[in-house]
Amino acid sequence: MNDPNTTHGMTPEERLIAYLDGELDAEARARFEAEAAADPRLAAELAGHRRVGRRVTGTYAPVLDEPVPPHLVALVTAANDRAPARFGPPRWAALAACLVAGVLVGRLAWPQPGPLADRDGALVARGSLDRALTAQLASDEGPIRIGLTFQAADGRYCRTFADPAEALAGLACRQSGRWLAVTTATLAPAAGAAPAYRTAASETPAAVLAAVDALKAGDALDAKAERAARDRAWVK
Amino acid sequence: MAAFDREIVELLPRLRRLARVLTRSPADADDLVQLSVERALGRRDQWRPGTRLDSWMFRIMKNAWIDETRARSRRSAVLAPEEAGDRVGEDGAAAMQARLEARAVEAAMARLPEDQRLAVALVLVEGLSYAEAAEVLEIPPGTLTSRLVRGRMALAAQLRQDEPEAAP
Repeated sequence: MNDPNTTHGMTPEERLIAYLDGELDAEARARFEAEAAADPRLAAELAGHRRVGRRVTGTYAPVLDEPVPPHLVALVTAANDRAPARFGPPRWAALAACLVAGVLVGRLAWPQPGPLADRDGALVARGSLDRALTAQLASDEGPIRIGLTFQAADGRYCRTFADPAEALAGLACRQSGRWLAVTTATLAPAAGAAPAYRTAASETPAAVLAAVDALKAGDALDAKAERAARDRAWVK
Repeated sequence: MAAFDREIVELLPRLRRLARVLTRSPADADDLVQLSVERALGRRDQWRPGTRLDSWMFRIMKNAWIDETRARSRRSAVLAPEEAGDRVGEDGAAAMQARLEARAVEAAMARLPEDQRLAVALVLVEGLSYAEAAEVLEIPPGTLTSRLVRGRMALAAQLRQDEPEAAP
């Protein structure tokens, strides 16, 4: 039996990295945090490793959102399917087009620098919205906030979001390595008043909540399941 | 399409990401993905349903990559990271800054010994637990930990040098 949670026999570096990777048990974790709180040098080292970790993950994260080259998909479909299954947006595009609220129609003509882009007829999250949907947890703070995360009946992960800077709220689902907007709505600007009291759920417009109800199969993910799904890169 | 095939298709973005960490160019990365998928399809009988397909695929990719690097190191010395500057210029200054930032990380990763890079790729980039990563790499947990920690320390030492307001 290996016993990765004991601090006996761990070097200080191993312990620090194990802490960052969530590999310490609750007790060892608490002890480490107490030490870091009392030791500015350790705290600075921890912060430095956190920054480096974020830079490394941030460097490779965009690969997940690149379209997969068709020849790689074809390797699998061609080998096993006489009539290759259709990937990507066609069915979704139709659904998204039906559900997308009127506010968005005018925005479709936007040039690309918005939170959503028109790709092959589907509305796909891009830029900071895409990164928030991919990496952020509901408990994280940021210019964009994530509300509910849940699985649709076919297993796809879906998340509600609010982007006050764009006055945009919506629901997006993970499909073929991208976040497809299922519905969007205008976000009431009143939300800017008292940041401390805002929660993503309370500011979610009714149209988005209705779309959630229509798609949701089972309960929304709790914080642990949400983190686990993110760490698996939203693979069903 | 069988569940196995569908899941492999769904894993393609992650396989491409892992390959991007291991190789030096996007083209090499997709070649590695292709090789790994071909091997996986050829060995589909060896996958046990109920076990993690991602770990199984990562192990296949790890072995494919090791085979490839062995063949390659006989042919040539270490290749420099490719395509300096090729991909900038799409969105202006912000994108250029992000690209430069990414290149610094890629260069630091490229300098790691292969075994450390694999450990960092699986744990830090792919988010596997230590136990899962050790299983993918087919090494004891203690070996995984020491490779991972050495890799992370080397990365930190290199990347902190170019932090603008380097707070010690």
